[in-house]
Amino acid sequence: MLITHELTRRFGNVMALDGLTVSIEPGITGLVGSNGAGKSTLVKILLGLLEPSSGSAHVMGHDVVRENRAIRSLVGYMPEHDCLPPEMTAAEFVSYMARCSGLPATAARERAAEVLRHVGLFEERYRPMRGYSTGMAQRVKLAQALVHDPRILVLDEPTNGLDPAGRDEMLALIQRTGREFGMSVLVSSHLLGELERVCDHVVLIDAGRLVRAERLGALTGETGTLLVEVDGDVEAYCAALMAQGLVVQRDLLRALVELPNGDDAESVARVFATHDIVRDVAVATGVGLLRLERRRGHLEDLFAGATT
Amino acid sequence: MSTVVNDTTIHDLGYQRYEGAREGVRGAWRVLFAQGFRAMFGLGRPLKSKAVPAFVLAATMLPCLATLAASSATKGQLPIMYGNLIESQLILFVLFAAAQAPELLSHDQQHRVLPLILTRDVTRDVYASARLAAVWCALLVVCAAPLLLLYIGEIGIAVDPAAAFTKMGTKAGPVLMQATLTAWVIGAIGAAMASMTARRAYATASVIGLFLVATAVSIGLDDLAGVSADVSGFVDPLRSLHKMSLILFGEKNRAMDLAAPPPLWMFVALALALGAVGAIATCWRVRRVRV
Repeated sequence: MLITHELTRRFGNVMALDGLTVSIEPGITGLVGSNGAGKSTLVKILLGLLEPSSGSAHVMGHDVVRENRAIRSLVGYMPEHDCLPPEMTAAEFVSYMARCSGLPATAARERAAEVLRHVGLFEERYRPMRGYSTGMAQRVKLAQALVHDPRILVLDEPTNGLDPAGRDEMLALIQRTGREFGMSVLVSSHLLGELERVCDHVVLIDAGRLVRAERLGALTGETGTLLVEVDGDVEAYCAALMAQGLVVQRDLLRALVELPNGDDAESVARVFATHDIVRDVAVATGVGLLRLERRRGHLEDLFAGATT
Repeated sequence: MSTVVNDTTIHDLGYQRYEGAREGVRGAWRVLFAQGFRAMFGLGRPLKSKAVPAFVLAATMLPCLATLAASSATKGQLPIMYGNLIESQLILFVLFAAAQAPELLSHDQQHRVLPLILTRDVTRDVYASARLAAVWCALLVVCAAPLLLLYIGEIGIAVDPAAAFTKMGTKAGPVLMQATLTAWVIGAIGAAMASMTARRAYATASVIGLFLVATAVSIGLDDLAGVSADVSGFVDPLRSLHKMSLILFGEKNRAMDLAAPPPLWMFVALALALGAVGAIATCWRVRRVRV
């Protein structure tokens, strides 16, 4: 769907993108990176707002530089910054944007009313946007990106500035857009937790380079580590576990126990056996078991591992 | 998707794909032009954006009505001087361009709507040309209105309108030419200066400032450097436009009694060139705006 090859963009001496090669598949994709990692630059190149210094990028098979025109009806763009003229009403603005995409006047008005309803803006849409809250403004920005019925939505930091409730609503909306409207979504964010909830894939970039691009399930599934939190002498407990032949790491007040890999009956039996040993050793050393759980991968771990 | 229609509620039909017509670049150009043209007169904008267009239209039309009334009262003894009326109106046209052109060209940069527009079926050149055309057309209306009022009025107050029309037929050309070239010069320069900055107030000030500086330089050349008024006049677009109107309408002012003015074609060429420079500068700037 979105493919870049050795994509590089320089601003003076600053390398915003440095030989980025990535392929983004249909579905909801999160674009993660800290501020200044090159997220917005990548987004702008994919939209044809910026030209790459070198390398190439394709959107649904169209080259972003040479076939710029073909891409325009395929993508909807929700920018990170404010982009709403204060004196216009949401209904006027969204239908104006639809007409800029070449929709005839009547169709533009109808589409505008429809997408504004989808994003949950009702009577307010006839008020000038000057008085809108951040949450309402973000909804209008999403509506204008949807109004010409694009195939790909590009959302740059859509939850910026929203309170937790507003953030949840925006994420639900994005998820609905991706699942029910049949659009592919590229959503950039520096907040990892929220991407975990809505994305199928995640692309992690740092300093203009690709760090990882994977299915989210692969990244945040269960790992082969058992996390044991105990109350008491952790050191002695770990030593006792190792005496039983287990691979154990101490992490502050927790013991991380390696579990055997594999799906066959024997491995599963050994996983159960390991749990038993953990329990029995706890009884033997006299520590209290506080928590016992399979450790899950988190995007934060991935991120921390990549940037440090 | 759209195929699922829930019969129990009328309101939520689910997301509908848009399968209708798309007019592409042409439709986008039209809406940018139409929206811009309306904004030049403050339509679809808050009340304070309508103040300057209303004032300029009133301030340019009322003296024409007064002139017509005076001419009518004296039964045509008081001749109607088109060129002299234009002289005082030119600065009002500049005021109109300075106040309203930023509504189109700075406004989109100020509120950062430009990146949104440019990701739609609009290239930078399409955007620049649509906005320029809107500024020009609005100025053409404003510049032509007082002249046409005079022209039609002069025929109307004549004792024998039909005879006056035959006699005045030759004046229609100069009226339209003067209005077109005035709009061309002031519109293009106004648009160019307005597109340079995202700040409305700066844009307005820079348009007025540019014309004032040109006037000041022109007068300075006259008085201090002793350059002949014919040459220094070319430095000041407004003075050139005024002189052109005097030639077009066959009127004279005192300075012209002494020496023959430069030929008409020089003024026309200057006006065409100034407008073209403004238009090119606008396109150049719009291509370079960082979005």
